Amino acid sequence: MRRVRFELNGQTVEHEVVPRLLLSDFLRDVLGFTGTHVGCEQGACGACTILLNGEAVRSCLMFAVQVDGATIRTIEGVSPDGTSLHPIQQAFHENYGLQCGFCTPGFVMSTCALLAENPAPTESEIRSHLSGNLCRCAGYESIVQSVRQAAWELAGGNCAGKADGDDE
Amino acid sequence: MTSSTLARTSEAATEQSGQGFGASVRRTEDYRLLLGTGTFTDDLQLPRTLHAAFVRSPHAHARIIAVNAERSLALPGVVAVFTGEDLAELTAPGVMVQTGAESMVMETLPTRKVRFNGDPVACVVAVDRYVAEDAVELVEVEYEPLDPILTMESAAAPGAPLVDEDLASNLHTQQTQTFGDVTSAFAGAYRIVEARFSTQRMTHVPIEPRGVLAVWDAGRRELTFHSGQQTAHLLRTNLARRLRLEENQVRVVSPDVGGAFGQKIPLFREELTVAALAIKLRRPIKWIEDRLENLTAANHARDDSAWVRAAVDKDGRILGMKAELWADYGAYAFFTPKYPIDSIGWLLPGPYKFRDYEYSINVVITNKCPAGTLRAPMALVTWATEGIIERIARELKLDPVEVRRRNMITAQDQPYVSATGYTYEALTMWEGYEQMLGEFDLTGFRARQRAARADDRYLGVGIASVLEPTTYGSAWYKKGGRGSGHEAATIKVEPSGAVNISVGIVPTGQGYETTIAQVVAEALGSRVENVNVRLGDTSLSPYGMGTRGSRGAAAGNAVAYLAAMEARGKLLRIAAHLIGEQVDNLEIRDDQIYVLGEPEPRLPLSQVSWTAYMDPFKLPPGEQPGLEIHRTYDPPPMTFSNATHLCVVEIERRTGRVTIQDYRVIEDAGTLINPAIVDGQIRGGVAMGIGQALLEEVVYDESGNNQTATFLDYLIPTMDAVPPIRISHVQTPNPHTVRGLKGMAEGPVQGGLAAVMLAVQDALDGQGLTIERSPASPSRIRALFRTVEGDVDE
Amino acid sequence: MKPAAFEYHDPPTTAEACELLAQLGDEAKPLAGGQSLVPLMNMRLATPRHLIDLRNVAGLSDITISDTSVTMGSMTTQRQIELSPAIRKACPILTEATTHIAHFQIRQRGTIGGSIAHADPAAELPLITVLLDARIVARRADGTRSIPARGFFYSAFVTELDETEIVESIELPRLADGEGWAFEEFARRQGDFALVGVAATVTLTDGKYSGARLAVSGVASAPVLLPVAEHLVGERPSPALYRRVAAAVTAGLTPGGDIHATGEDRRDIAGHLTEVALAAATERALQLTDRPAGRR
Repeated sequence: MRRVRFELNGQTVEHEVVPRLLLSDFLRDVLGFTGTHVGCEQGACGACTILLNGEAVRSCLMFAVQVDGATIRTIEGVSPDGTSLHPIQQAFHENYGLQCGFCTPGFVMSTCALLAENPAPTESEIRSHLSGNLCRCAGYESIVQSVRQAAWELAGGNCAGKADGDDE
Repeated sequence: MTSSTLARTSEAATEQSGQGFGASVRRTEDYRLLLGTGTFTDDLQLPRTLHAAFVRSPHAHARIIAVNAERSLALPGVVAVFTGEDLAELTAPGVMVQTGAESMVMETLPTRKVRFNGDPVACVVAVDRYVAEDAVELVEVEYEPLDPILTMESAAAPGAPLVDEDLASNLHTQQTQTFGDVTSAFAGAYRIVEARFSTQRMTHVPIEPRGVLAVWDAGRRELTFHSGQQTAHLLRTNLARRLRLEENQVRVVSPDVGGAFGQKIPLFREELTVAALAIKLRRPIKWIEDRLENLTAANHARDDSAWVRAAVDKDGRILGMKAELWADYGAYAFFTPKYPIDSIGWLLPGPYKFRDYEYSINVVITNKCPAGTLRAPMALVTWATEGIIERIARELKLDPVEVRRRNMITAQDQPYVSATGYTYEALTMWEGYEQMLGEFDLTGFRARQRAARADDRYLGVGIASVLEPTTYGSAWYKKGGRGSGHEAATIKVEPSGAVNISVGIVPTGQGYETTIAQVVAEALGSRVENVNVRLGDTSLSPYGMGTRGSRGAAAGNAVAYLAAMEARGKLLRIAAHLIGEQVDNLEIRDDQIYVLGEPEPRLPLSQVSWTAYMDPFKLPPGEQPGLEIHRTYDPPPMTFSNATHLCVVEIERRTGRVTIQDYRVIEDAGTLINPAIVDGQIRGGVAMGIGQALLEEVVYDESGNNQTATFLDYLIPTMDAVPPIRISHVQTPNPHTVRGLKGMAEGPVQGGLAAVMLAVQDALDGQGLTIERSPASPSRIRALFRTVEGDVDE
Repeated sequence: MKPAAFEYHDPPTTAEACELLAQLGDEAKPLAGGQSLVPLMNMRLATPRHLIDLRNVAGLSDITISDTSVTMGSMTTQRQIELSPAIRKACPILTEATTHIAHFQIRQRGTIGGSIAHADPAAELPLITVLLDARIVARRADGTRSIPARGFFYSAFVTELDETEIVESIELPRLADGEGWAFEEFARRQGDFALVGVAATVTLTDGKYSGARLAVSGVASAPVLLPVAEHLVGERPSPALYRRVAAAVTAGLTPGGDIHATGEDRRDIAGHLTEVALAAATERALQLTDRPAGRR
C-alpha cells in the first residue's frame, strides 16, 4: 500500500492504494468518479482520457500510485458548477456530438487539451488530434463541428478557427 | 385507429411550437452524458458486490477432460469457481429452434467440448476483478485438442469432424426458395452475367463492452439484472426460463448503454452464469467484459458470400436472377442461423424489376466465435445487387445509368410487389438516383478520372441505391414461424399535467428519450421539457420487442404517439365537458385548452389532468378516472425506406491505400421526427459501412486462434478515416404507418459498404481487375495490382 | 484485463534505480512512460514482480542542444520533443517522426528512452536513431556506456541493453547545414503502427548528391539502413533516379508478413516510400542550399 495525495477536480484527495490499481479503476471504483469510462485498457480507444497536470493522458495506462502530487481533472470537473455545461460540453450538445455518450467524456477531455494548446484548430488539425478517440455511433463529423464551435465560443466568438484552406 | 383518422388528427396536432415531428430538437439525454453523470452498467456500485472473470479456451476445438480449480480456490479473495457441470445444475440449457433445420442446444457453460478460441469454460468469483483474473490463471483445464473447422468448405465437406456433435452435419441450414419461372428466364436469356461478392467476418465493437450486475433479493426471491441491453423484455423472458424462475421474479434494468449495434440482444452465457451465481451465492455479482473478451468472444457477424447470376436480354433488361448464398455462423447459435443470410436472399432483387428469382442459403457451423446480427445483418446485399447491375453494364458494354433506367422501380410502378413477395410503396429509388445524378457531375468526373489514369492515379465513383427494411410487423415473423413485431407504450399524464411515458424499446444511443418526448409533446400540445421518458426497465416499461432492426421510429415512437393521442382524446373529452364545448372544437397548444378560432385559452391542461384524478365527479358520464393509458401497436408486415449513396475514391496503386474524396447521401426515410438525429444515424452507419469496406476484419490463424484480439489489430474507423458526408432528405410518407414514419439506420451501413466497394471497382475497371471481397485493404488492392503491374508500371 | 501484482519502486536517482535493477535482476522492469509496458501488463503479457518507476529520477528529462548534437534524457516525453522549437530547428526530422507516434495523449506520457528500450520494429524513434547513428547512453550500477544506435537494435524487442541497465540519455547528431531530410510512413489509420516507415537525409553539392542516408522500419525485425549513398553520390536528382534507386535498394528486402500486410506488400510500400522520401529530402536540400540553375 502507498499513500497518494493529489488534487482531483479542485479537491485534495488522500488515499491508500495498491501498486497495481489502474488510475482509471481508482477514479471510478474507489473514488466514485464514474464519468471516466473504460473501453479497452490498452490506451487505444481514448474513453478514459483525463487531464493530468493539464495534459490529456490515458488513465488506463497509469497506476494510481503515480499520481502523488499531481493535479487531475476528469469530466466531472469540466462543468463550472457541476450542473451547467462548459462551452465545450454545450458545443457537443448543440452539434449532436454524441449518441450513446460512452466515448464522450474522453472526447471532451481531449478537446479541453487541444483547445488549451491550439485555440483555433483547423478541421484537419481537429481530425488529426482527436483520431486517438474512438466513437462507434456518430461517424465523427458532428464531433468535429462540436470542437469547431467550442473553439469559437471559447475565443469569445471572435475567432472562428482557420478555414480548411488555411491548413499548413 | 385507421390511417385516415390518424392523418386528420395529426393535422390539428402539428399546429404548435417547433418541437414536434420534423424539429431538430437538441437531445435531452445529453446533459447527464456530458456532465459525466450518466449511469452505465459498470457505474453501478453496490455494497458486498463480488466480481466475476471467465476461464476461456485457448483452443479452437478441444474436449474438456478435467477442470482443476484447487490452486485458484486457495488464493485469498477467491470466493468460488464454477464449471459447466455446476451451471448445468443451476440453469436450463438454451435451445435454438429454426423451422426446417435441426435445433441447436447450447449449454450455459460447455461440459464436453470447447468450440472456439475464447469459449468460456469456468467462472471465477472473487472480491475484485484483479483477484478474479489472478485466479483465472490458476485454474487448470486439461484439454484434448481436436482438428478445428475454420472454413465454409471444410465445414461442409463430407465426413468433416462435427463442431456440434449433436448435429448431423456442420452444414446446418440449406434451403432454396424459388419465385416465378426462373428456368425459363435463364433459358431465354441473351446472356448470363455472374459475379461474386463476399465479406469478411466483423464484430460490433460498442465502445462500452458487455456487462452485468446481478442482484438477488433473497427475501423477496427476486433477481434484478442490471445490464446494457437492447431487448429488455425478451431477455427477461429468456432469463427467467433459463434460471427456472417466474417472470415476476426477474427484473431487467438496462441503464445507459454505450452502443450495441445488435450485440446486446441475446442472453449471453456469461450473463446467465453471473445471474445464476448471484442467486447461488446470495451476493451481488458484477461482470464487465474487457476488450479482449469483446473482440474474441462476444459475437461476430457477416462472414458471408454471394454468387449472383443474372439472366439478361441484349438491352440489359433483367429477366431473372439466381443467387447462391453462404454464411459461416461460428460455433453456437444465439439467433436462428439462417436469419442474416436469408435477409440477403429476400432483399437481393432490391430496387429492380424482375419476377423470376431463386436463391439458396447455406449456413455452416465452424470453430469460430458465434455470429449474430450486426447493424444491417444484410449489409452485403446492396453491394451484391448494385454490383451485378454494374457487371451487366460492363459485360454488355452499356452505360450503367441506362441499365438502371431500364430496370429500376419508379414511383409510377408502385405499389410494386417484389419477386420475393414484399410490397414496395412510397419509395423513391429511381427518383433518388436521378436526383444524385443531377447533383453530381458524372461526365466531368469521367474526364477527371481519365486524366488521373494518365498520371497513374486511380479514381472511382460508386452510386448505390439502398433499399432498407426497417420495421418488421408480426405478420413478417409469422411467415418465419414465430415471434411478434408489436410494440407497447404506457403514458401517464400526471395530475399536474407532467407526462411520464415508457415504451418497450431500449435506447443504445439513438436519442429515443428526445424523439419520444417530441412525438408525445406534439400529440398532447405540450413541450418536450414536460415529457419524461423512462426506458429499459421491465418494471416500468410495458412489454415490447425492444430495439432491433431499425424499428425505433415506425414501431417505438409510433406507439408512443398513439398512446399520447389516446391521452389527448381523453383530455379533450374531459375539457369539452368542463367548458361545455364540442370535443371537435377544441385543441391543445402550449399546455392550454383552446376553442378553435379563439385567441385566448379556456383552461390549462393541468386543470383537466387534475380533474381526471382528483375530481372524478366532474368527468363526463362514463369516463373513468385517471389519465394512465397503455397502448400496443403492430406495424405493417414490412416497412422500407430507401437512399442513394455516392462515393468517390482514389486508390494509390503503389501502396494500395483507398482514400474517400467525396461522400453523399440522399435519404428518404419518410416522415422525420428529428432530422439531426437521422443525420447522426446516417453518419454513424456510413462510418460502419466504411469500416467494413476498408478496415475491419476478424482474422483467425490456421489453428483457429483469433489474431484480432486488440484495437491494434481490429481496426474500426477513426476520425481521420471517415469523411464529411453531404446529406439531403426527401420525405415521402408511408401511407400505411403512423404519421408516414418509415424509420432507418441499417441502410447507411448497406450503402456505405456498397458505395465504397463500387467506387473501388470503378477505379479498378479498365485494368481488368475485379474486387470480389471486402475489405478493400491495402494488401488486397496490392495483390490485385500486382497481377497486372507489368502493364501499368512505367 | 488487469495487471498482475507487483512491488512499486520510485527511486529518486539513477544510481538507486540501477542499484534496484542490479538487486532484483530479471524480476524487475523499469517503467518510463508506460505506454507500451502497461498495455502488456494489463493483458498479462508482461508480469514483472517489481516495477521501477523512473518518474521521480532527477535529471532524466533534460534536452541539451550543442553545435553538433541534440541530447535528450531518457524520460523526455515524445510531446516535449514534438513541441520543442529548439529540436525542430536542430533536428527537424526528429520532430516530424515524433508526430507520427500514436496519438497526442500517448505521446504525452511516452518517452524517448522507453521507445528505444522497447524496440518495437515498427517504431519511429528507433528508426531515427539508426538513421542518424545516435549514441544511446546506458547506465548500470557500476557505470555507464555509450552504445551506437546502429549496433543497439538486434530484433523485435531485443536490444544490446541488458536487464540491469537503463537508458539514461540519447545523443543525436544534428543534421548538417544544407542536409535535406524526409520522414514518410504508411499506416492503416492515423496513429497506427506503421506498416513501413522511411527516414532519409541527402546532401547536394553543385547539384549532385554528395551524401545520403536512408533507413527503413517495418521490413525486418529491427530498423534497416539501406545503402542509398552508393547509388546516389555523384548523380543529379531526378524522379527516374529515385525510382531506380528505390527499386535497387528495396529489392533485397524480405520482410515478414502479418494480418495487415504481406511481406511483398511491405516491400512494395518500402519501395514507394523510398522514392517519396528521396524526392522530399532532395527538395528540402535544394531549398536549404542555393538552387542550382536549370533544375527541372
